[in-house]
Amino acid sequence: MALSSTSLVFENVSYAYEEAAREAVSDISLSIAVGEWVGVTGPTNAGKSTLCLLAMGLAPHFFGGRLKGRVVVLEKDSRELSVIQRSAEVGLLFQNPFTQISGARERVDDEVGFGPECHGVSRLEVAARVEEAMALVGISQLAARHPMDLSGGQLQRLALAGLLAMRPKLLLLDEPTSQLDPAGTAAIFDVLAGLHASGITIVMVEHRLETLCELCPRVVAMVAGRIIADGPPDDVFNREAVQLRVGSPVFTRLAREAGLSPPWPVRLRDATAVFGRRLA
Amino acid sequence: MRFAYPGGVEVYPEPGLTLTLGSGVTALVGENGAGKTTLTKLLIGLLRPSAGSVTVAGLEVAKITVAAMARTVGYSFQNPDDQLFERTVQAEVSFGPRVLRRSAEGIERGVAWALRACGLEGKEDVHPHDLGLSERKWVAIASALAGEPAVVVLDEPTLGQDYPSRERLRSLVRELDDRGRSVLVVTHDMDFVGEACPTAVVLSHGRVRYSGPTSKAFADHSVIQEAGLEPPHVDSLARMLGLSECVSEADFLSAWRR
Amino acid sequence: MAGGLSLYAEGKSLLHRAHPLTKGALTLSAIAIAFIAPSIGWVLGIGVILLVLVTAAGVLRRLLAVAAAILLPITLLLLAVQGFANANNRTVAFALGPIVYYREGLAIAALAALRIACLVCATFLFSFTTRPADISEALMQRGLSTRMGYVVQSALQIIPQTLDMAGRIQDAQRARGLETEGSLPRRARAYLPLMLPLVLSSLVATQERAMALEVRGFGLPVKRVARFEFADSPLQRVLRWVLIGAVPAAIAARLAGWR
Repeated sequence: MALSSTSLVFENVSYAYEEAAREAVSDISLSIAVGEWVGVTGPTNAGKSTLCLLAMGLAPHFFGGRLKGRVVVLEKDSRELSVIQRSAEVGLLFQNPFTQISGARERVDDEVGFGPECHGVSRLEVAARVEEAMALVGISQLAARHPMDLSGGQLQRLALAGLLAMRPKLLLLDEPTSQLDPAGTAAIFDVLAGLHASGITIVMVEHRLETLCELCPRVVAMVAGRIIADGPPDDVFNREAVQLRVGSPVFTRLAREAGLSPPWPVRLRDATAVFGRRLA
Repeated sequence: MRFAYPGGVEVYPEPGLTLTLGSGVTALVGENGAGKTTLTKLLIGLLRPSAGSVTVAGLEVAKITVAAMARTVGYSFQNPDDQLFERTVQAEVSFGPRVLRRSAEGIERGVAWALRACGLEGKEDVHPHDLGLSERKWVAIASALAGEPAVVVLDEPTLGQDYPSRERLRSLVRELDDRGRSVLVVTHDMDFVGEACPTAVVLSHGRVRYSGPTSKAFADHSVIQEAGLEPPHVDSLARMLGLSECVSEADFLSAWRR
Repeated sequence: MAGGLSLYAEGKSLLHRAHPLTKGALTLSAIAIAFIAPSIGWVLGIGVILLVLVTAAGVLRRLLAVAAAILLPITLLLLAVQGFANANNRTVAFALGPIVYYREGLAIAALAALRIACLVCATFLFSFTTRPADISEALMQRGLSTRMGYVVQSALQIIPQTLDMAGRIQDAQRARGLETEGSLPRRARAYLPLMLPLVLSSLVATQERAMALEVRGFGLPVKRVARFEFADSPLQRVLRWVLIGAVPAAIAARLAGWR
């Protein structure tokens, strides 16, 4: 695929759930190129999860409702492909890892292999993928455990391993580390950085703005179903509207409060430099 | 105090160690599986210690039923959907004080305060399941507060919460402190710990690794690493600039101005 | 650790290693013939064979523990009801004042109790020596659709999952002051707060899981790849046909006057 090809495109997309009074997303236009790592953030009810559901095709497929505009995933119109057909190339990690496990497997390794098996991947290949995915997210030592015995954090890793074993080209992650401790979070983000480096496109919903700025070269800020800013984190979080309605990373807030002149830093590295210059 | 799950996972604070949680706001932090939830369940008697004893607000937990402990300890669980069942937010929040048979005016006062503190005013008549996950979480927190318990346990209150919601949590915790309540916050959110919790207990592999002021909790690198923690972002920045013991934004700004 | 969540116990016995379908045929055939066989002697014979197999599989202790809990009350109840009150009672076995116990009832109760004992024995023998996943896998390899296979697999897990969820809900409600133990009225009052979250959470979980399954490609019309092979042998194949064939044979014998 050429570098300029797109992974995910929204063209004037509006969507309302069935029987909902207002639209969950309104007139969204967004184009994500192959290989990008985009962070999506915004307050509650901003439409972040709906964005993921639309990209996966689960909305309107599962939820009914009205969809206006066009969603193009890996250069195919979302209306032309079912969720199942898309599942070979697109993976969605739900907020709740408990419901992501199949509920039909008695071992963690069998659970990881569930997706590839559904796709008719050969047994040897499944075993290799399972081993690789478990090692990546750090659950190899849990291989023989029962999925139902795992803690929330372990389940979250298991759910991610189940997706990685499918070798997706586009990963949609809805708060992928919400259940993990800081060290576990850092480990998963390392995995994502590796996937990003290997050319996989990642769209990630995240509330922790510092993490978002540290990791994602591009941030989309949403409020009440609309995109209010889209660009590099430094630009996005230096906008007043974003600061007011979405919030700011700690470093941005500190620089503002300390009376430094804008643009304010959004990452630790830049904050150290900016504050350090004033100290010197 | 020593405790073992029926299955055998043991949580054993160091031999002879007494963990005393005073009044004020305490953060309980540690890696996944460190024993945080076990410790909080011990506080309300959902689990019983296999040795030693747990005393909360002068009551020996082993001698009282869980339901009776609920008079003293308000417990908000991680997943609100494990408890919501009433048809309105108002009924849900007043359920605890009602089964605890508080007086009518006590219920009214407690519920009104809890609804206000949790930002649920105007939503009293909404069906809890018509709310989003973040708001359902607030209903669960309000339910834990409505009985005006002396001790409040909040399990992962910041999980999935946006910035305004976290700000509200901060002020809620401060208000509880002002009212003389003890608050125990179980969390992975170190920024929140730094901002809202003056004391911290670090648990790792079932042992208490640190117990004291939050400002010093992140000083020992080996403890931090073992417990899977990371210092608050403010702390990282302060360290890079050679400022010490800044775990909250206010700490940082006052150190900076000096 | 499958321990808490299924009955299966790890083992290396002949029965553990046998093809799941062979064990299935054995179980169904033993149960069917125990109920078809006309007299105590025959049923007792089947019971003895099952007990030998249970012992060989090394699960006798576990079987006795569960079987006693189920069979004892049932047997006592049968003995009492039939011995005192069966309509065919004629011959007095013994009498305690006005209360008379009859032989006919005793015989009927003993036969029924033995048949139920065979049923329990055979069922647990199967559950103790067969991984739940193997059952659906074996059936799918014989042409059961992937969807039906999933239904079988998840049905085998739904009880532990629901118990797990119920435990969390009970904890949460007790922590709010709800007494869930004690007198009947007290427990009745706890019913709604425990059941409603369970039902709602299960409904939500079912919907989300249905979506998650599609995200993983469940339902694609691909040729299914066997997850593993079961060791099978001509002997086992013959045995399966013999076991299955024994059932119609027993019915025919009964109709022809087997007493």
